[in-house]
Amino acid sequence: MSDVLRMGYVHARVTDLARAKDHYANTLGLYPTLEEDGKLYFKGWDEWDHHSVVLEEGGVGAVKFGFKVMDTAGLERIEKKAQTFGDCTVTRMSAGENREVGDGIRVQLDCIGHTFEFYTDMTAVGLEVGTHNPDAFPRHLVGIGAPMLDHALLIGEDIDTAARFFMEVTDFYTTERAQTDLSDEAQTIAYWLSSMQKVHDIALLRGENGKLHHFAFQMRDWNDILHAADLFAMDDVPIDVGPTRHGITRGETIYFFDPAGNRNETFAGGYTSYRDRPTIIWTADQLAKGIFYHARELKESFTSVYT
Amino acid sequence: MPRLTVADSDVEVLLKPGETILGGLHRAGYAARTGCLRGGCGVCKVEVTQGSVTYAETVAETVLTSEERTSGICLICRAVPQEDTVIAPRPEFKLRCVAPFLAALARK
Ligand code: FES
Ligand SMILES: [Fe+2]
Repeated sequence: MSDVLRMGYVHARVTDLARAKDHYANTLGLYPTLEEDGKLYFKGWDEWDHHSVVLEEGGVGAVKFGFKVMDTAGLERIEKKAQTFGDCTVTRMSAGENREVGDGIRVQLDCIGHTFEFYTDMTAVGLEVGTHNPDAFPRHLVGIGAPMLDHALLIGEDIDTAARFFMEVTDFYTTERAQTDLSDEAQTIAYWLSSMQKVHDIALLRGENGKLHHFAFQMRDWNDILHAADLFAMDDVPIDVGPTRHGITRGETIYFFDPAGNRNETFAGGYTSYRDRPTIIWTADQLAKGIFYHARELKESFTSVYT
Repeated sequence: MPRLTVADSDVEVLLKPGETILGGLHRAGYAARTGCLRGGCGVCKVEVTQGSVTYAETVAETVLTSEERTSGICLICRAVPQEDTVIAPRPEFKLRCVAPFLAALARK
């Protein structure tokens, strides 16, 4: 079993903090939990830890991604395995290096040019509905009221090594894979990896090192996805694709851009995955259907635009 | 009001104050290859061969470098022409008319 519970936070760059705040707080409806040193921290209403999104002013794209680990023993296991794995730089990070985040380890995967942090503790803030006889949702949600962070899709050159890292070091398993064909020489185009039962916690797409394709928020269902699209129209948020369904993961989706041009996604549905569920394979000739199940046509912006 | 002209085409748009190049093109019934529409991805770069543009929003140096700026490259989703401006897009810009009646209106 994996020691990783979930992707706990995404730390991204934005060009303008005030505009970013308006988007993430008023359109996405995340709760701002801290604003300090040119950084904004947010959480969703159905999250209990201090933050799941950190935005830093200056530039665009990803800074790093945090994974919450069950306990210290798990963190030690990951550290040891990462050191044996080799193709990565492992350093320790101490409490306070990231606001409200405890001790942990930082792993730099040069094969894809991305940085990941593993930690066990983050200051608890609590669910917005509380834990005692809670209501179904907070009555006064703002904007689309995104409940929580779901996953991220990262781009990098050597995703095979990166996927091997997540499978060997953090015990993720591959729920779905896109590959050139079914031959023995097939190259993998993208991996969807899960730590527990989500259809994916992280996905990896072959391309330029260090690039962010998107990070996604979990929505309850298709109705909420449609409602979100309506609000994006009202708030003049550029929609890249959707609302539609993915063949891959079966998720329901909208892709859109934050004010700095980072792609966000609202994601609902998908299936409950299990470690022993057979890995789903998509071949290049059917990739369009895999990505956009209804249109079955790839959109240039979706496949060539990232930050 | 600045006039936007696309080189080697009959595309001409009278821009509204503060309007971006892409905003003008869209209003005039044209579509082009774009990405984030937010100045973050850089796929909408074109060369300004005449005139000058400014930006109402911060554009990251990693997306549009200062060398690119000085050599006349702009992001049409964010660039606001300050005077009559001519752009010379490359073929991948894929400029096309999607609403001829709007194009006629925008010339007036
Ligand atoms: S469309 Fe992304 S920078 Fe203009
Ligand atoms: Fe996604």
